[in-house]
Amino acid sequence: MSTISTALRNFKEPTKEQLTQIFFSLPSVGSLDGTEKTSDQHVEKMDINAVLSLGVQGVEDSYAGKLHIISPYLTFTSLDRKSVRFTIPLSTIRRVERLNARAGIYALSLSTWHGMKIIVQLTSLRPTADLFCSLLRDALKIELQRGQMKQVKGFVKTCYSEALVSTTSTVADNEREDGSLISEEKENAGPRESTYHGGLGLRFKFPGDPKKLREASKIKLWATYLRTHGRNLTLIRYPQCTRLVQVGLPNRLRGEMWEALSGSMFLRFSNPGVYEDLLKQNEGRTSTSTEDIEKDLHRSLPEYAGYQSQEGISALRRVLQAYSFKNPELGYCQAMNILAAAVLIYMSEEQAFWLLEVLCDRLLPGYYAPSMHGTLLDQRVFESLVQRCLPIIHDHFQDVDVQLSVASLPWFLSLYINSMPMIFAFRIVDCFFCMGPKVLFQVGLAILKINGEKLLQIQDDGGFLNLMRDYFASLGDSAHPNSSDPRARAITRFQELLLVSFREFSVITDDMILSERRRFRSEIIHSIESFSKRSAIRNLKTLGRFNKEQAGLIYDALYKAMCIVPPPAPVNPPPMLLTPNDGTEEKPETRIQLKTFQYFLSEIATWARNEKIVMNGFQQRVDRELAEHEFIDRLFFFWDTSCSGALSFQDLVSGLDGVMFNDLMENIEWFFNMHDKNKDGFLTKDEVLTLSESFLFIFRYEVGDAYLGAVSRFMTNAFEYGDALLPQSESEEPVNEGDEPSSPSRTIESNQPYLNLATFRMVVLADEVLESFFETDLSSSFRLEPVPDVELPVSNSGLLGDLWSTIATDTNKKMFNMFTDEIGKTIGKHQVMHKPSIGRYTKLEEPKARESLLTPSMRKSPSKVSLTASTSRSTLTTSSSSTLTVDVKAEPAKAFPNIPDSAAGFSPMVQAVNARLMERTAFAIDDAKDDEDESDGELDDNENDDQVMDEVDAFLEAHDSGLTDADKEVANDLLRAEPLK
Amino acid sequence: MSDSASGSVDKSVQVKLVLLGEAAVGKSSVVLRFVSNEFQANKEPTIGAAFLTQKCRLEDRVLRYEIWDTAGQERFHSLAPMYYRNAQAAVVVYDVTKASSLEKAKSWVKELQRQANPNIVIALAGNKVDLVQPSASSPGAASSSESEDEADDATATPGETPGSPGEPENLRQVPREEAQAYATEAGLLFFETSAKTGEGIVDIFTEIAKKIPIEHILAATRGTTRPGAAGARSNGAQESGVNLEENAVKSKDACNC
Repeated sequence: MSTISTALRNFKEPTKEQLTQIFFSLPSVGSLDGTEKTSDQHVEKMDINAVLSLGVQGVEDSYAGKLHIISPYLTFTSLDRKSVRFTIPLSTIRRVERLNARAGIYALSLSTWHGMKIIVQLTSLRPTADLFCSLLRDALKIELQRGQMKQVKGFVKTCYSEALVSTTSTVADNEREDGSLISEEKENAGPRESTYHGGLGLRFKFPGDPKKLREASKIKLWATYLRTHGRNLTLIRYPQCTRLVQVGLPNRLRGEMWEALSGSMFLRFSNPGVYEDLLKQNEGRTSTSTEDIEKDLHRSLPEYAGYQSQEGISALRRVLQAYSFKNPELGYCQAMNILAAAVLIYMSEEQAFWLLEVLCDRLLPGYYAPSMHGTLLDQRVFESLVQRCLPIIHDHFQDVDVQLSVASLPWFLSLYINSMPMIFAFRIVDCFFCMGPKVLFQVGLAILKINGEKLLQIQDDGGFLNLMRDYFASLGDSAHPNSSDPRARAITRFQELLLVSFREFSVITDDMILSERRRFRSEIIHSIESFSKRSAIRNLKTLGRFNKEQAGLIYDALYKAMCIVPPPAPVNPPPMLLTPNDGTEEKPETRIQLKTFQYFLSEIATWARNEKIVMNGFQQRVDRELAEHEFIDRLFFFWDTSCSGALSFQDLVSGLDGVMFNDLMENIEWFFNMHDKNKDGFLTKDEVLTLSESFLFIFRYEVGDAYLGAVSRFMTNAFEYGDALLPQSESEEPVNEGDEPSSPSRTIESNQPYLNLATFRMVVLADEVLESFFETDLSSSFRLEPVPDVELPVSNSGLLGDLWSTIATDTNKKMFNMFTDEIGKTIGKHQVMHKPSIGRYTKLEEPKARESLLTPSMRKSPSKVSLTASTSRSTLTTSSSSTLTVDVKAEPAKAFPNIPDSAAGFSPMVQAVNARLMERTAFAIDDAKDDEDESDGELDDNENDDQVMDEVDAFLEAHDSGLTDADKEVANDLLRAEPLK
Repeated sequence: MSDSASGSVDKSVQVKLVLLGEAAVGKSSVVLRFVSNEFQANKEPTIGAAFLTQKCRLEDRVLRYEIWDTAGQERFHSLAPMYYRNAQAAVVVYDVTKASSLEKAKSWVKELQRQANPNIVIALAGNKVDLVQPSASSPGAASSSESEDEADDATATPGETPGSPGEPENLRQVPREEAQAYATEAGLLFFETSAKTGEGIVDIFTEIAKKIPIEHILAATRGTTRPGAAGARSNGAQESGVNLEENAVKSKDACNC
């Protein structure tokens, strides 16, 4: 039922470079297909101080600011970062001339495609200016080679502004008629095969009364502005531009200006045909998103005539679907239908599609994501701004327990379109695209401020909503109906709202919002995550024998694993031709693959991780690594009851439930079943070997040889009993001890039913070590501990809520660790020990054995082979070899001769075990005779717990002092030895 | 409508009710039927939640339902706590023709029982029964709707449907008994409803009204923010709204607003 997402973890604060890109509305890398090419060629970026002026007869002043090359764009912003700015694709620059000006002045004249001249005076030092010029030259060359220059001509024809400017004022006169494509296609720039893009408004009329909106005069003003300041791709934003936007864009120009102001035009420009292709490629495809879209198509601005027609509905469908195909992770979120519907009144589908991309990706980041974290975050930011700017209202809301978001959430989510009458909402949208997301906050604050007195009267959420509803309905009324001044009476409440927004709340800046977002992000992420954790646990079909806290710990481990190895995207990956649906259903469940499972298990099962205790003289820490073994894979598939190749949270809980509460007999059976692949109640000989291998894997870091001996006895007994209990006569089978070539002849039986549960149980119970393993150790090797294990510095990741920040410090920590290790090595204090997974017999039968020789992979036995590889390895070997036991010497000696009988032939593994045991025994004897350490003392000792403890302590100390000498020697030897070769 | 905004004396008992359920099970339609006795394609898209109010009369009391109709899309789920906090009642809606919607409803119930107001009255409503019934009209259940409901079981059982082809029953994916059993087990009010025909809609709100500890709410509000609410016992005959008792008798043309 539940989906678990770690997507929020991946959030990174934008870099300075990215912030610049956002500021200039540049397409973010990756959203632009064309960037692949440019990224190869290492885009040069540079900024330089400059003074901008236009080649038009002195209309505007000059502005000092910064000129940037961010290939393939040239951008400029005035020093205050708001008066003047432009973003121009390099491909629209047709000519660059160095101006022959007074001495000491370095000025360039840039002629754009629209014939406008931009004069920039580079005010940096001469060499910097030279460098800038050469970069500009190179970047322009590249654009020319890419053929982008040729695209410009075709592209600008799709823009209404071209038609507007070329026909001078006649268009303005035509404004009120709605005959769509007015015939100003004559004249200019050769044959025009395509006309400008436009929205549904051209056919179904634009909302509002054009006379009241004073469309004609607005169009005239804009025509003048666009003629002198560039248009569409080459638009330069002088203060007048912002002012014109604030009085409301004219309907016909609105779509194009939204595109130009938001920067979505650059996406459309550099991705020609992508929209159509996307629809073509995904034709007929259905998904959860497309289903959701269908439900909402008729609920999107239904009062607008265009959406009572098939034409409008299908345009809306295509745009929303195309976006959901482009960004399947986001898919479709309610409220996007309203945005798209609104935007389509003024824009073509393709324009709307790219605008939606900019909205979801840059302007409203995370608003429509599955977790809606952006929405929640901005609500939190808004609340904090209200607290700061309107503390009285905020306090009152607190007092009467009214939640701001009940009203303000839809404001933000639908850019006020859902809340206000459309004509007003679109003017806010105009400002939003021109001035950025801060507008939403400014308007929100102004709404509250204007209604301040009434707000202080409200007692509950309902009253708040009703008040807001009434206010929005009255936006067209006079703000000062009782004023004697007719001009004051003429001011509408909406105008008042905008005035208050931009005058009184001009303190709200983009930077402030960014920093507020930063402040609350982790709080929001934490609350979303704990919410989804709670619902994941709630949605479990069964908790098994766990309580909720334990389930929470399992969830945490799963979550952490997912942070490390994210599962593949859960969103409908393959395009399905038909909807099988209903059974598999809409909400995909989060399921983890094997790799994630390995991490998960390593959090919980002690044997599923390699823990090395590293001491380097400065610190002692535990390095945790993932263990990989077939046993873990086996467990994965054992728990995968639905055979889907992936595990859900429920699978994990049930799986753990199946082992963590077991008693001796249940554990034996569990272990048996896990290795009984075909579930026929019998293990084959191969499976017996695999099972032994599993034992060895689990015991690989146990100190001493008790476990090794136990496994070896187990094998002996298993094959002995197994052979004895076989129904057919086994006379041909035995013998050939240790003879490898004979194994092929037996493989026939190696996959036949061989050992049943009863026999297995008998064999296990025959051994004290294994018995105790199954009695308690197996179950307790699964430990539900708070995930950030405080004692383990490396995996210590603070609370889950701060995982991100700790990832950052993790790298630091790693560097520090490496650094200290290096020092430790050079001064000979570096040591590594493996931490045992079970650790029971350290203190009982095997007091003197402190370190197992077993290594994760038995077959390769690297610890011996690679003895020379590093000092740390050699330490391991030294320490263990010096502390072997008498006990084992005797035991295996007895056991050995039996093993080869039945087992040796089957697997090189068994031989390896035997060989190892042999080896080690001999080794131990040799070492025992050595004077090194206290090993000879140990030899004589008979076990005594207290002594053992003392010895353990002594041993640990010895590691610090005595053994380092040995280390040094080894290291020195190695140093001396290698050059000889 | 703005009476509460002005904070003036409100003679009714205010009951906050939230509608939850999977997308497209008809939450908004249920509300619309209750509030304005209409059925139509939804005009207002639900972003976050829609807010509506309806006054009802039950015996000598006037209840003012403040209804929060939440968005059904899964990703709005995390916003739901904002709407169900402090709610005294919840209607969890599922679609009788869609089995998965009952699962979602169950998870909502679980969530409400754990996270919401501990005294919350929860009703489970299986909507769209008109799709699985042979005829659209059926007499509204009386106030003792539980026993009536059991009598209705016969029609819900395939094969026993008198005089109608089994065809509409095929659409049914949630057997009435199953949902009823679940509701009983979880301690919920249970109804099968049709926002289209109006069947069972008013009953939900009637039964909720009966079950809500009104005295409790009154006592709570009296003590705190709403001193005027103490006098809310007047018959409120002048109020335009739903008379729940009358409606309980003839549910079809209940609302006179």
